Amino acid sequence: MNRIFLTLLLLLPATGFSQSRIASLNLCLDQVLLQWAAPQHIVSITWLSAQDQYRSAPVPEHVYLNRAQAEELLPLQPDLVLTGEYGAQRAASRLEQLGYRVVRIPDAYSLEQLQAQLESLVDTLGPLPGLRQQQEKLNRLLAESDADKTEKTKPATPSALILSANNITYGSGMLEHQLLSRAGFRNLAAEQGVKQLARVSLEQVIAAEPDLLVFYGGEQEFAIAHLAERHPVLRRYLHSGRVYRLPQELGFCPALAAAEVLQQLIYKRQAIVDAG
Amino acid sequence: MSTRDKGILWLLLAALPVALMLALMSGPVSVNIVPALLQGWHSDSSDAVILWQLRMPRALLAMLVGAALGIGGAAMQGMLRNPLAEPALLGVSSGAALAAILLLYYGLAWQSGWLLPVLAIAGALLAVSCVWLLAGRGASASRLVLAGVAINAFLSALMALALNYAPSMFAMQEIVFWMLGSFANRGWDQLLLALPFILIGALLLYFSRNYLRSLSLGEETAVSLGFGGRRYPLLVLFGIAFAVGGSVAVAGTIGFVGLVVPHLMRPLVGQDPGRLLWASALAGALLLSLADVLVLNVVGTQELRIGAVTAFIGAPFFFWLIVSARRGMAL
Repeated sequence: MNRIFLTLLLLLPATGFSQSRIASLNLCLDQVLLQWAAPQHIVSITWLSAQDQYRSAPVPEHVYLNRAQAEELLPLQPDLVLTGEYGAQRAASRLEQLGYRVVRIPDAYSLEQLQAQLESLVDTLGPLPGLRQQQEKLNRLLAESDADKTEKTKPATPSALILSANNITYGSGMLEHQLLSRAGFRNLAAEQGVKQLARVSLEQVIAAEPDLLVFYGGEQEFAIAHLAERHPVLRRYLHSGRVYRLPQELGFCPALAAAEVLQQLIYKRQAIVDAG
Repeated sequence: MSTRDKGILWLLLAALPVALMLALMSGPVSVNIVPALLQGWHSDSSDAVILWQLRMPRALLAMLVGAALGIGGAAMQGMLRNPLAEPALLGVSSGAALAAILLLYYGLAWQSGWLLPVLAIAGALLAVSCVWLLAGRGASASRLVLAGVAINAFLSALMALALNYAPSMFAMQEIVFWMLGSFANRGWDQLLLALPFILIGALLLYFSRNYLRSLSLGEETAVSLGFGGRRYPLLVLFGIAFAVGGSVAVAGTIGFVGLVVPHLMRPLVGQDPGRLLWASALAGALLLSLADVLVLNVVGTQELRIGAVTAFIGAPFFFWLIVSARRGMAL
């Protein structure tokens, strides 16, 4: 009897976090729940998460797809409502006024903000194994990257350039730039003074001659926005394997993809250095 | 045709290589044109790649599409004997655009790279066929216009519906961008795709030049001169559908070129609808080429769409038409 009591006591901190009815009013948080929370604990996510272009995990049948309206969530009686810092604020405030527990998870536009977001998620949802693993992986990779910087022999830094939809590239001040830098690449757009986003033509890509050409999303089907990627002038990059494609999840929910992207970019950099 | 008018036409012809050079010199990267040209097609130097693989096909495609839109507009105005006619009036552009939109809408576009342009051409041909069937056998120009307006309105309604229920903001953006037209990121493959269709269209229109001439004297005169029956109107309609459909397929919808250019050229060719075809092709090529040079030299986070540029050219042209009409000048 004492043993059973002791076991229950040990389990208390873990179960203390677990909510049995979680709702989300934010696309990224939807995905976090679908990826790492137990399906039976999710009561509602936004309708966007059921769309093909955003869905990164199957949506359980019992989950209600909301359009960020407070009245949609009331009948579901959630014991935790997750929302971001900006979207669906009216619904979040109304639910708070009605006595529901609403937690605003910080958005992530940089690695620092991503670490804070993951920390906040762990604090709110508890140490879900997948989420914890993701957090630890990201922290480990960033620590290794910091250690590389302090080494006396500087590792080779090949160049990279992002060519995203509608010929947009990413400069300094962007999470994507930070990931490239942490993986040991020089982001040519940032070196040319691009802060945040800028247009980059195929001419500029050819003239810049990056060691790695980074596409962004659009892997599933063709779109006019991604027409540049199909231009024959980029074939030599494709043929030599000097391309990498950032998953589109990185754009709307870096918590899902950032650690894996950083890992793959590190491998890619090593392969380019070895081949060079 | 006076010597002065001939001189102006020759001047336009001579301006084409100049426009081509301007287009080759325009772009965000500074390129040494002559060495890059001499290095040739197969060179791996970045200057040669930029010149031969990026700027050259884009410049030639702009000219080709401009020529197709110009010749299409001239043929349309000649056949309908209406100065406000342009290929879009008979649903050619809308048919091509709707086919493209439906593909973009359902995310089917360019599963293979050829699907979108080929179906856009098919859409243009289908729209023209519908106009022809709706107008009926031996239709007059006014009935053709009426049928064209009806089909065009229906296609526009379908496009509005597709936009209204676009499955995602990305699909909507794709559709809007397609409808604004662009030569960005186009290469030799798009040029070679459009070329045969535009050539077929131009050939069909060439064979109908005398029909267009006879039509300028009235439909009864045309019939008395041996241009009765369905053959010649069909020749013109399908000529326009091939030329304009091929253009829309690779560059999206670009308005006003087919409307403005024949007006500008008509006085230079002595109101001859046959000669107007080639003069309009020439001027259309020049106009669109220069419009694209403007696009290339505008710096910004978003690309300036060529459809917006031609619209800015077209709108003042309408003002000019109104002012001319008020002064009692012939249109």
